[in-house]
Amino acid sequence: MPQPWTIKHKPTSLKEVVGNREAVQKLVEWVRSWDKDVPKHRAAFIYGPPGIGKTVTVEALAKDFNMELIEKNASDYRTEEAVRRIAGLASQYRSLFSAKRIILFDELDGLTGSADKGGVKAMVEVIQNARCPIVLIANNAYDPRFSILRNYCLLIEFKKPTISEVMRHLKNICLKEGIHTDENALKFIAQRSEGDIRSAVTDLQAVAEGKKNITYEDVSWLGFRDRQEVIFNVLRMIFYSKTCSGAKHAASMAEVDPDMLLEWIYENIPSHFQDPHELARALDAVAKADVYRGRIKRTQDWSFTRYMLDLMTAGVAMSRVSSKPSGWVPFHFPTRISALSKSKEERVMQMEIGRKIRRKCHISAARAAKEVLPYLRIIFKNNAKMAAGIAKWLDLTPEMIYYIAEDEAKTEEIKRLIGI
Amino acid sequence: MSFEMWAEKYRPKTLDDMVNQKEIVERLKSFVRSKNVPHCIFAGPPGTGKTTAALCLSRDLYGDNYREYIMELNASDERGIDVVRETVKTFARVKPIGEVPFKIMILDEADNMTADAQQALRRTMERYTETCRFILCANYSGKIIEPIQSRCAPFRFTYLPREEQDKYLRYIAEKEGVILLDEGLDAIYEVCSGDLRRAINTLQAAASLGKPIDAKVVYSITGKANPADVKKLIEITLKGNFVEARKQLREMIQKYGVAGSDIIRQIHSEIFKADVSEPWKIKLAEIIGEIDYRLVEGADEEIQLSALLAKLIEVAYEVKGAKKV
Repeated sequence: MPQPWTIKHKPTSLKEVVGNREAVQKLVEWVRSWDKDVPKHRAAFIYGPPGIGKTVTVEALAKDFNMELIEKNASDYRTEEAVRRIAGLASQYRSLFSAKRIILFDELDGLTGSADKGGVKAMVEVIQNARCPIVLIANNAYDPRFSILRNYCLLIEFKKPTISEVMRHLKNICLKEGIHTDENALKFIAQRSEGDIRSAVTDLQAVAEGKKNITYEDVSWLGFRDRQEVIFNVLRMIFYSKTCSGAKHAASMAEVDPDMLLEWIYENIPSHFQDPHELARALDAVAKADVYRGRIKRTQDWSFTRYMLDLMTAGVAMSRVSSKPSGWVPFHFPTRISALSKSKEERVMQMEIGRKIRRKCHISAARAAKEVLPYLRIIFKNNAKMAAGIAKWLDLTPEMIYYIAEDEAKTEEIKRLIGI
Repeated sequence: MSFEMWAEKYRPKTLDDMVNQKEIVERLKSFVRSKNVPHCIFAGPPGTGKTTAALCLSRDLYGDNYREYIMELNASDERGIDVVRETVKTFARVKPIGEVPFKIMILDEADNMTADAQQALRRTMERYTETCRFILCANYSGKIIEPIQSRCAPFRFTYLPREEQDKYLRYIAEKEGVILLDEGLDAIYEVCSGDLRRAINTLQAAASLGKPIDAKVVYSITGKANPADVKKLIEITLKGNFVEARKQLREMIQKYGVAGSDIIRQIHSEIFKADVSEPWKIKLAEIIGEIDYRLVEGADEEIQLSALLAKLIEVAYEVKGAKKV
């Protein structure tokens, strides 16, 4: 049974915690203040949405400061008695022979109803008398049930990490797991998670199961799984709507973001608009939507999104004048996005080879990549001896040779001839 | 057969080796005799010997150690102002030791430099004229700003005439022990039309197949080596197959890195030759201009260009319809 990656790749030190630098700093300073004297607040109340590393942070903190962590879930302290039992542990900072101690009440939201009322009351007492740091964790610190508790706690808010922070974390995991992923694929997972790192890592593991390579296409169905129909229905409604509002309404049903929806629409227009006039008009509408996309990016004014949406939905729908739906037409995945990131890597490689050629051939790297590389490809595929000579002369790396020859066996043969 | 790039191996070493561009070579030789070189612009299509001429001139002028006296900078790879300011200045300001009192800076693909960089270059040229002479190589001298043009002696390189290209290719084939048939030569001239670098690369790629080089071999090579053919894209488009055309466009942009602006420029020049009614031509020109502007503004190349292709299909359809009636 494989270990869940949320556990396997859990941060073990505060350095590895994703995002929330300020909050972590606040927590660290508070814990440090215990070394001098009992601080004003004997408990810290960490709150924030699920899956963003609240518990993990406390665990990492205990490890970094070499403290003994006593972790309790809501089920452990449902009743007054249960809380009082923990109170004993909280009465001393340093357990007799061991390290400093920190007590964590996790999942405070889990306390329910009147049965737990006594529990909260007892917890306040524990905090008032605590001789060691106590940490409380909940999603919402402003729940009325916690109103008294709040007075005794240092409130620390954890916020959702940014998409790029989540991406960085996912990338690290992939690195450790030896999985190759598309930048776009990771971005998609990160975006979908809306800052919930735990769900992002779970998604990543689900997609990566048994794979060494994750492409955009692999992840694009996440969440749509069994619900591919959703996006197809949306497209159908947009393409065949007779009214502007109908087409616009369809877009609001889609769970994809406007950029992604634009890609879906752009990809699928040709198979649904076959009359040349209608096709030209529909693509014209999409091109104009794309212009607005650019304006949004430049001005950073997201209110322009409405015009982008109008054009790509209603604008496309209104392109149809006479033609009718011609039976069942399949919808295609927008492939160009996955191809785009691949080609970016490819262009980097081409430029590297171009620079090698430049050194020898008095021609710019860009031009060499465009004009000389295609000839090299023909030579490398057909004549290993000549290829080996050229590869040596240009000082190409094995990766470059493989990229040019596009064939494992040929690459080996060329490498053998050069003697590398 | 030797195993390096033939285009490099058979690049002439001295001005005497240069078999073509006779008039230019004569003038360059007179520079060598007087040990004085003005700033120059070598303008002309690719593969006509601009860089070669600059290198040969340098070797004749400085001898075998010419590398110490010249610097080659490629404007396409590093065309920013900073590079021009720093690299060029550092190189240009120190006077060399020896009988020739100046160095030579060869700026390749200078027409790809931004206007700002060219302005900076102009000042540098002026300031260091004593110690450094510039040779600017460019496909179009028109893209070099006027103040630089007026400071340079212009040289116009032209495509090699058929006989000279043939002679050169025959010579290489003989040296390399490759069988080059006449029809192969015809085919190479047809596809490379005087671009010697391309012709030699084609010859070498064809030779790598290990067969006598006939027309079929040449065409099979050039087909593979020129996937970024805009003419072919237009052809597919005018047949009315949008899906196929978009696929081709996508490959050109993504796999071969062809710039959208290059594609649009070529489409623009083809429009006026196309079999389309006159009023349509100008309508299309306006649409093309609009899309070109959008690309400059940073719109998505593929989306914008496929909208244009769809428009072309629409026009082609109209034209066909009109003919039927």
